[in-house]
Amino acid sequence: MKIQKSGILRHLLALVAAGVVTTAPGGLNAEPLKIAYSDWPGWVAWEIGIKKDWFKEEGVEVEFAWYDYVASMDAYAAGQIDAVSMTNGDALVTGATGKPSVGILINDYSNGNDMVVGKPGVESLKDLAGKKIGLEEGFVTHLLFLKGLEMNKIDGSSITIVNTPTNETPQVLSSGAVDAIAAWQPNSGEALKLVSGSKPIFTSADAPGLIYDVLYVDPESLEKNRDAWKKVVKVWYKIVAFLKDEDNLDEALEILASRVSISPEEYEPFLAGTYILTPEEVKPIWEKADGLGSIYGSSVISDEFNVKYEVYEKPLDTEKYLDPSLTLEVLAEMEK
Amino acid sequence: MRFSHRGTKDSREPWFGVRRDLSAKRSSILSLVSFALPLAIWAGVSYLPFLWHPDIRLQISADREDVATVYIAGDRVSKGFFPQITSAVRDQNASIEAQWKSDDPLGGSTESAVRRSNKKILRHLAPVLISNGVIDEGQSKDDAAIYRAWKDIAEGTLDLDSPELAGENITIVQQNWKSMRSVSETYDSDNSISRPLLSLIPQGKSANPDYLPSPDQVVAAGVKIFTQPPEGDRPSMLQRVGHSMRIVFGGFFLAALIGVPVGVLCGTYSFFSKLVEPFTDFFRYMPAPTFSTLLVAIFLANDAPKIALVFVGTFFQLVLVVSNTTRRLDLPLLEAAQTLGANQMQLLMRVVIPGILPNLYNDLRILLGWAWTWLVIAELIGVKSGLTEFIETQGRFRNFDMVYPVIILIGLIGFFTDQILALLRGVVFPYTDEGSAASANPVIKALLFLPRWFKDAAEQRLPHLPDKSTHPTRA
Repeated sequence: MKIQKSGILRHLLALVAAGVVTTAPGGLNAEPLKIAYSDWPGWVAWEIGIKKDWFKEEGVEVEFAWYDYVASMDAYAAGQIDAVSMTNGDALVTGATGKPSVGILINDYSNGNDMVVGKPGVESLKDLAGKKIGLEEGFVTHLLFLKGLEMNKIDGSSITIVNTPTNETPQVLSSGAVDAIAAWQPNSGEALKLVSGSKPIFTSADAPGLIYDVLYVDPESLEKNRDAWKKVVKVWYKIVAFLKDEDNLDEALEILASRVSISPEEYEPFLAGTYILTPEEVKPIWEKADGLGSIYGSSVISDEFNVKYEVYEKPLDTEKYLDPSLTLEVLAEMEK
Repeated sequence: MRFSHRGTKDSREPWFGVRRDLSAKRSSILSLVSFALPLAIWAGVSYLPFLWHPDIRLQISADREDVATVYIAGDRVSKGFFPQITSAVRDQNASIEAQWKSDDPLGGSTESAVRRSNKKILRHLAPVLISNGVIDEGQSKDDAAIYRAWKDIAEGTLDLDSPELAGENITIVQQNWKSMRSVSETYDSDNSISRPLLSLIPQGKSANPDYLPSPDQVVAAGVKIFTQPPEGDRPSMLQRVGHSMRIVFGGFFLAALIGVPVGVLCGTYSFFSKLVEPFTDFFRYMPAPTFSTLLVAIFLANDAPKIALVFVGTFFQLVLVVSNTTRRLDLPLLEAAQTLGANQMQLLMRVVIPGILPNLYNDLRILLGWAWTWLVIAELIGVKSGLTEFIETQGRFRNFDMVYPVIILIGLIGFFTDQILALLRGVVFPYTDEGSAASANPVIKALLFLPRWFKDAAEQRLPHLPDKSTHPTRA
């Protein structure tokens, strides 16, 4: 399988641009924290805190900017924003090719919403031999796809990867240009809907813990505004408490679905595929351990993948990309 | 002329005459037909089911257990796939009925999950109730009202006709009502039914694919999106129109502000032409969108990179077009002025610029149309905005009935801007051929009345006022 370097080139370009730009907007304390988020259900959940004015209540000024996923990482690498919602694997890619970051908050793990969708006739990953798959090269869905091949002991060399922006994957699948796509909700769901008879042939539920969805912060901003970032973490756990209360489900769905312009009915199944982590559930994940049950272990596995498949060249110090202290402090305060 | 004067009556004239103009009346009729024809084809394909209609448009959601894809009322599925969904829902119902009889009526799931799924099943009736006028648009989650409707249908006191409920669905309503009644006659949020209910079988009627909504849907969507007030960070449609126009006109005016002087210099002096044009000629072959990531990096988010993209896309063309227009100015005019002793500055300001103005105006009109073509790409870079953001998001979720009104609107804005500019040409340049033709136009006459009146009044008071516009070379 040949991996083109276009994703990396884009990041190199962003890095060059960052050098030009960093002189312009300084990370002043008075400035609101600029956070980029995109259409992944675990991040759309921030919308609840935004709509309910909880950031103001907590006394922290934030500015959420809505991006396409890869564009959000480009914007982060270009120094335009202070934090970006990424998967733990993509944080490493962005770090190796653009700009490093520190994960301070785990929103969720992907539990089925990231998926490889095969068109009718493609019943499993094995059926993809000699065929084409559309996915965003070097990023999370690529990782998922490779993991699927590995788990099913499939040699991927005969499968052609067509670099496709994730939000275009439904149209690309329905156009017949590819035989499968890899995407996350709501894009994967749109693809399933668009192509009658298509089905998920491998999902993140088959490899839980491979993809953690995290808030990654610019190390410089974290150092300067640690208290403000802690408040952001606090708001997140308020959002989690709200989401986990069944009585709020209709209201929550209304807010979440309207952000991505679909109906609440269509949105509801996404909640199962994105496992939002409660305070109790997230603590063991922040503990250092091998394997996918810990974000440390998961990041090491992503790192090895990225090196093996030449997304970047050298292994990274993955521990540097994680800082559980803010979450743990907030959770300790909540328990009091 | 044998052919044209044979009869005075229009009806005697042939409709098809080689290179013969049709009468004004006939021209108008054909102009109307040219718009009516596509509309008629569109309406025909939309409203005559036997012409195409490969899909089923759902009236009742197709929501299956364990399948993340929910087809809601209004969605379309192909006629081949529809039976698969309905049979899947029927199988699901059969297994639920089997569960009722078994020891584990919950079928292994938790009570809260069953409660939630029951709530959803009851709400599946909402779209049908809304289109029958039983409940309002805003009541799709009003569980009490929906509960009442289930009761009324089961007891036969409520008949639905647009659309009707299929016979099997009436049976399902009655079966479910038995479970519901055993818990409560009216909706009770604390005491909801914990026995799983049966799902309604998806119903629908034949329709075209979602990318070809019918005219009435497009009109309804158009009315809806243009009357929607702004909500939160979502601008209203008028604000979006304003935003898009700011970007197009911003980029265009910047390009004209710099490009016109440069172009005029290039067309006038060989020095500037040789200095500027080769590079410009090279640069214009680099498509403006290729600069988008750079522009975002340099100008950051918001409008600046978008305006810059329109600028990059327009400026280089503009310089070349303007210099070319300048070069086409009649040489004798310049020679005459030189004979009269005009110096460099006078040649430029008194001959070249006044001489090319009418053509320059036309160039800019065409280039403004050119600038519009960059709008869509410009609005996609950085933070998406304006009309394109709307088209993008709605298109991505296949709400194409929302997309058509916006596309048509962009067309109308472009068309009318151009028409207005064409009309104004007659006002601004009455001395050109097109201008004098235009000044016979009643609209133009009305427009010209006031300025003419002022001019006449002024001339009466100041009889020696020189009329520069007709004698640009008089030094």
